[in-house]
Amino acid sequence: MAAPVSTVPSTLPVISLTDVGIRFRRNRRGRRNFKDLFAARNRRSRPGEFWALQNVTFSVQRGEAIGVVGRNGQGKSTLLKLVTGVVLPDAGVVKVTEGVAPLIEITGGFVDDLTVRDNVYLTAGLHGMTRKQIDARFDEIIDFAEIADFVDTPYKHLSSGMKVRIAFAVISRLEEPIILVDEVLAVGDKAFREKCYRRIEELLAGGRTLFIVSHNERDLRRFCKRGLYLDKGDLVLDGPIEDVLARYNDEYGVKRT
Amino acid sequence: MNSSFATVPPQQRTPLARYWHSLWLLTRRDLRVRYSTSALGYFWSILDPLVMAGIYWFVFTQVFERDVGESPYIVFLLSALLPWMWFNGAVSDCTRAFLREAKLIRSTRIPRTIWVNRLVLSKGIEFVAAIPVLVLFAVVYGAELNAGVLLFPLAIVLQVTLTAGVGLLVAPLVVFFRDLERAVKLILRFLFYASPIIYSTRDLPGDLHFWAAFNPLSGIFSLYRSAFFPDQLDWFSVGVGSAMSVAFLALGLFVFARTERAVLKEI
Repeated sequence: MAAPVSTVPSTLPVISLTDVGIRFRRNRRGRRNFKDLFAARNRRSRPGEFWALQNVTFSVQRGEAIGVVGRNGQGKSTLLKLVTGVVLPDAGVVKVTEGVAPLIEITGGFVDDLTVRDNVYLTAGLHGMTRKQIDARFDEIIDFAEIADFVDTPYKHLSSGMKVRIAFAVISRLEEPIILVDEVLAVGDKAFREKCYRRIEELLAGGRTLFIVSHNERDLRRFCKRGLYLDKGDLVLDGPIEDVLARYNDEYGVKRT
Repeated sequence: MNSSFATVPPQQRTPLARYWHSLWLLTRRDLRVRYSTSALGYFWSILDPLVMAGIYWFVFTQVFERDVGESPYIVFLLSALLPWMWFNGAVSDCTRAFLREAKLIRSTRIPRTIWVNRLVLSKGIEFVAAIPVLVLFAVVYGAELNAGVLLFPLAIVLQVTLTAGVGLLVAPLVVFFRDLERAVKLILRFLFYASPIIYSTRDLPGDLHFWAAFNPLSGIFSLYRSAFFPDQLDWFSVGVGSAMSVAFLALGLFVFARTERAVLKEI
């Protein structure tokens, strides 16, 4: 039985972005001085910088599944990072009221020299799980990743496929109500990918909020009802996923025969 | 067992508890990685100061006629050398605090000051673990313990303040000015001789004595040393050093907060 999450009425958005913008330097090794390092955030764009995202405003209700669509380099991953909170906006406000399980650079937290077991406890712990919670899920995680024989092997000795599998297994077991997925489904063999899909569907059925970046239309149609279309750093369209994909294909897609 | 997926539990812990939880996890990871990959493990962390102490002891008591510090000189040395190792290790590791963990920082949303504070903490734990060595030498050479030992906690608190402050200042700046990494190493080497480690502030000529107090390490080391050498306690240095430490922490926090946004984009 699903317990009520909090006293917040479900009509309040769990993610809301208001007029969000972020800019990056065009040449990363450019000249930099103390003055612009300490300059307060402002909306002016300085020479050598460009806005990766600008004036992005939208909000997400609990339980929604949203697909982000756009060509490479149009700010999709940056948007996910803003929602995760691993980069901070230069303009506007990002408000996320619930915990986030980011499937972004999922293998990032794993340490080569430690065993799989230590790594599971470390990564899950950093994402806010207590030791008891991890104890309770440890076998599930290992089963899901199908690496029961390698629990006490140093992480560096795993194959690259195993590394991604264990990382996905850990992050997707987090008790967080919001899940962000960035292209990770492109890895792994077919059978494991199907398992990941089923896992995500399970999470959705459990009332989680899903935010997914993908170039795969089938994936997007499978999980999402709503789509965001990013182009040149602007949020061009926010609507049903079918409309968003249609517009995207219209502008950039291969013509269907 | 699928029931757990359906319920979404509320945040169980306060932000402060989460902060400590993450800080502790990363610190433990640091120590575990260090000790699981080396055969000597713990002994490395005490071997380093021991070898250095041995060298200075030899040079200043066997080669030269020593007229600085107090006897037993090896205890005098170690009582400042061990905390120096903590400061030195933490600050030089802080130069790579962001660069080394870039992947992890890009994927987890823990408060960013943890990346500095965990280095201060793990080096601090190594320092505490090395204290028995100091005790051993004090016993062997018959150095007398006195009431000054009660100031140890104060010294540790001051050193945490100072080290965290300097770390928070250095860590983000190195991301933008890579040269700073080498500059910091150089400054640390200078600071080793500019701090009362192989000598005591009382051995300095009169007018330098006053200015030495503005090196916050002078006050901190004088507190550590007062455990065995009550004459070393210099409340003027401690006072100035405390003020400097707090100032460093404030400056560090300010710089860290102002540069955080840019650091996250850069790594």
